[in-house]
Amino acid sequence: MPLPLYYFLAITAVNVLLAWSLYLPYRVAHLHFITVANMAISGYSAAFLVMTLHVPFGWALLVGFALGALVGFIVSLFIGDAPTFAVVIVGFTFIYITRTVIENLKAVGGTMGIFGLPNIGGNPVTHRWVIIAILYGLLLVVGFLIHRFEHSRLGRAASAVFVDKDLAASLGIDIKKLGMLVQTASCTIAGGCGVLYGFIYKSFHLDFFTFALVGIAMTIIFVGGYATLWGSVVLAPILYGVPLLFPAAIQSWRIVIYGAALILVLVLKPEGFITRRFVYSIESFLSGNRKKRNTP
Amino acid sequence: MQVFIAQVINGLSLGSIYVLLVTGFNLLLLVAMIIHFSYPQVVVFSMYITWVVLQATGNNLFLGILAGVVSSVVLNLVSAPLFQKVMKKRGEVDINSTMVLSMGIGMIITDVLSHTFNNGLPIAFPDSLSSSAPLLRIGLISVLTGQVWSLAVGIIAVSAFFLLLYRTRPGRAFRAIAEDPNGARLVGIPLLRTGLYSYALSGVLGGIIAVLLAMLLGTASPGLGEQVAHKVLAVSIIAGLGNLAGGLVVGLFLGILEAIVQGYISGSWSNAIAFVIMLVVILVRPRGLFGSKL
Repeated sequence: MPLPLYYFLAITAVNVLLAWSLYLPYRVAHLHFITVANMAISGYSAAFLVMTLHVPFGWALLVGFALGALVGFIVSLFIGDAPTFAVVIVGFTFIYITRTVIENLKAVGGTMGIFGLPNIGGNPVTHRWVIIAILYGLLLVVGFLIHRFEHSRLGRAASAVFVDKDLAASLGIDIKKLGMLVQTASCTIAGGCGVLYGFIYKSFHLDFFTFALVGIAMTIIFVGGYATLWGSVVLAPILYGVPLLFPAAIQSWRIVIYGAALILVLVLKPEGFITRRFVYSIESFLSGNRKKRNTP
Repeated sequence: MQVFIAQVINGLSLGSIYVLLVTGFNLLLLVAMIIHFSYPQVVVFSMYITWVVLQATGNNLFLGILAGVVSSVVLNLVSAPLFQKVMKKRGEVDINSTMVLSMGIGMIITDVLSHTFNNGLPIAFPDSLSSSAPLLRIGLISVLTGQVWSLAVGIIAVSAFFLLLYRTRPGRAFRAIAEDPNGARLVGIPLLRTGLYSYALSGVLGGIIAVLLAMLLGTASPGLGEQVAHKVLAVSIIAGLGNLAGGLVVGLFLGILEAIVQGYISGSWSNAIAFVIMLVVILVRPRGLFGSKL
């Protein structure tokens, strides 16, 4: 697999997973930026396990997921039903604290980071195929689970919380438990995503986990469409791929382009490009076709 | 003991800037009903404009300060229609939309600053604005010009702001909207126009803060806005969103806390410790110590 294609496929998948990890808590109106800190915590921990303790990659990845879930669960005990702005600032604060701790930890390379992670499968070509297989396998599993969540009672409860918390509470929805569930799930996804993110480049550096990553994920969700999981799927490849077509001078301005796109979409098309109505119309079109085919 | 006193003096001057920032942020929250998360980025942008004008005019302080204040007001007023457009209902704080929009504005400001001015490198203000020579020195305790200015201007600006809020007609309109937007509309207060006044007023405050920060720090970098933005939002949440008096207390406290931690613990850990304390308070009391006004 050519290197540019590998990076395109791998980073697109990571971006979709990251966007989904933010999308899930946003279903109850929480902008849960702690996911970026979780990516760093799980990623660095997995790299430490692989490099220093020679733990196999598969186990390190599982530890990454588990660590993400644990951090997410503990934090959600406090902010499962907190107001949006409190959730936002907890996320940002976590990113700062995590970055400072990693920066000062010699065991994970401090400001230099961790380099020279081993190839999974022994050689670079196999490494690329394994990473792509894991990422897209994960994408299918997570996508399926979120899809099922959306069509379940819990998904409908989340929609009610998003529209009106007080009304949802009066309908008997346990807002705190629902918030804890989506926050923990989001952090679990982010944990695994963080491990894979570093293994794509076979290195970990603090520059991977900056506030720019928050900006990219936000642009994917809000421009793609925050009301369905498909918005992220459509926008992540476009957002990563289209700037590659521009000259290098313009490419370096991509954060400005993302910011401008975010503002324009919020002003002109607040629900983003892929709206819930659009998804319903496609679903009904497809099910209509299916019915016609089944009719004798 | 001398280190402690020196750090308290540092903390008071830094805290007075946090107080001004939180006051501007809360004014926009209460009257314009937006969460302008990147308000500190607007302030840092004004610092850069001040620097550009100082460079262009051979360090003409008057023009530099004027440019800083004007740029902050203009940037705030330009963003006003965008915020009004994304708000679902006028007369209600639409936290999510306005905060995300503000983050988008912040992304653009930070990236523009890191691409255009001084090739993205930190800028240094001239000695005429940020003199590092101490006004007073007793042992380890030294009082710098920037510290005196930021404390004095901070006290004057906050007092003037509270005077305007509690002793003038526009101030009454501000408070009426903050208390009950629909009631304010019923008694004839124009929500949109008064909201615009709050954008302009917070812009003026932003310009003043930009100059004070330039005097106190002597430098600025594109990432400064982001770091300050998180602290301002944290102070505002700890105090209770929209609580002006609470913001005053917590802003000063954070400034002093940060300075004291910096005095005893190495630089890179000091920020983290301040953030850990903020995190603990937010986790335990997500709605603030003094109660939210929303």
